[in-house]
Amino acid sequence: MKRYILFLAYEPGGWDAGDEAVRQQFFDAHHAFETFVNARGRQLGSAALADADIATTVRHTDGVATVSDGPYVETVEFVGGYYDVELPDLDTAIEAASLLPRSYAVEIRPTVTIEGYESP
Amino acid sequence: MTDAGLALEEVVREEWGRLTSLLLAQFRRLDLVEDALADAVEAAARRWPEDGVPLKPAAWLMTTARRRVIDRLRAESMAQRKVPLLVTDVERQEEGSRTMADPGDLVEDDLLRLVLMCTHPALSAESACALALRLVLGVSTHDIARLFLVTEPTMAARITRAKKKVVTAGIPFAVPAADDLPARLETVAQTAYLAFTAGYAPGSGPDLLRVELAGEAIRLVRVVLGLRPGEPALVALLALMLLQHSRRDARVGDGGRLVLLDDQDRGRWRRDEIDEALLLLSEPVLAGPISPVAAAYVVQARIAAEHATAAAPDDTRWDRIVDHYDVLVQLTPSPSARLARAVAVAQADGPAAGLDALEGIEIIGSHRVDAVRAELLSRAGRVAEARTAYDAAISTCRNDAERAHLVERRDRLA
Repeated sequence: MKRYILFLAYEPGGWDAGDEAVRQQFFDAHHAFETFVNARGRQLGSAALADADIATTVRHTDGVATVSDGPYVETVEFVGGYYDVELPDLDTAIEAASLLPRSYAVEIRPTVTIEGYESP
Repeated sequence: MTDAGLALEEVVREEWGRLTSLLLAQFRRLDLVEDALADAVEAAARRWPEDGVPLKPAAWLMTTARRRVIDRLRAESMAQRKVPLLVTDVERQEEGSRTMADPGDLVEDDLLRLVLMCTHPALSAESACALALRLVLGVSTHDIARLFLVTEPTMAARITRAKKKVVTAGIPFAVPAADDLPARLETVAQTAYLAFTAGYAPGSGPDLLRVELAGEAIRLVRVVLGLRPGEPALVALLALMLLQHSRRDARVGDGGRLVLLDDQDRGRWRRDEIDEALLLLSEPVLAGPISPVAAAYVVQARIAAEHATAAAPDDTRWDRIVDHYDVLVQLTPSPSARLARAVAVAQADGPAAGLDALEGIEIIGSHRVDAVRAELLSRAGRVAEARTAYDAAISTCRNDAERAHLVERRDRLA
């Protein structure tokens, strides 16, 4: 089994503007995804994220930690949620990702272990 | 070359992909297998001239390569390195082997797994091309770099990155479900055709016809067709490639000059390849319902076949070619398809009709639309407009031989 994080990116507004029927379609798609993942592997975690304009970004500039309002990169689509899953291979991950709502762009990233690092 | 050298060249050419696939199935180490096999070939180049060519050359290479991998694995286990393995369909395979009586099938399936892994849609088309040439056909990194007009370190880095993506992303060394296989085989076809067209008409550089790359692309299709006989997209693509490839000797004149279809010595077209293509086009699998990708290859091959079967340029059935292009434009309404259709219309009904058909076609960054317009204007006797169009085409053309041809045409205007 390989561990993948699926980043769900989309243009904001679709959910807020959607009526009950649209929202039900989103729920159905996520249910189909989760059912598939649990059948072929397992789900380790997931979350929906607040909009990117709520984000706070911390980065070091000239050795000083500076805080700024907004996401680290401004794009039309932003990451609005993620799934952390274990699946057999990329083909299965692609099959799972294609079950999610059609307005999403889903970025599939395998996780790696950093040799020599141990959590305290 | 010595007998031993020839024997080695032949076994590498014929068996590289199969040996790679068997080693991958056994060790699942994409990073070690290719080097081990290359080492084995090097060892053979030293040993065979002295010891004689072994009775089973492929088995000799396999044994030697396998030993190299095992040596490396031992060294690693002492260093306690943990290296990610290639994902395989071992579970599915074990299930399948219970019902599969003939072990020969499994060997062939390993080669198919390798082809599908190299041409996975999660890889860029260029990476897939390079990986398939290297791992399936055994073309050296040096030669792949030369064929794609990049330096060897650049190509080596591209191949290394592609292999890393395969392993890290979990692209499986596996045959997909039966429902998904045809689409994946179409990706194989598209990858092979990309390599073929890169060889056939490079966009830049002095090398007009890199016959070798086109030949390798044909070989890739033959390998896959050997594993999946009768796959419509591959049958049609092979026919198309053979028809285009059959003209290679007639297409280049003195000093590498481009010779256009009309001026080519048709006696120098390879008849055997044309005959094989025509036979492929008559295969019953192409008569049934086929995918749009396969259908587009079929109609392009039929167009090429019209040219291949005309004894002289004047015998060309341009009316039938226009009919084929009408189908093609419906299947793939791309500017290049519409441009080619306009050329055919001009041949069938005269330059004025061709210029009408050219209306509204635009290919950003390419000289081809201007070049065709210039030619048709010149034929229609509109010299001043033709000159302007030639100037525009010459200024955007990046292929040395083609630009020389355009300059010559312009200077010949009255």
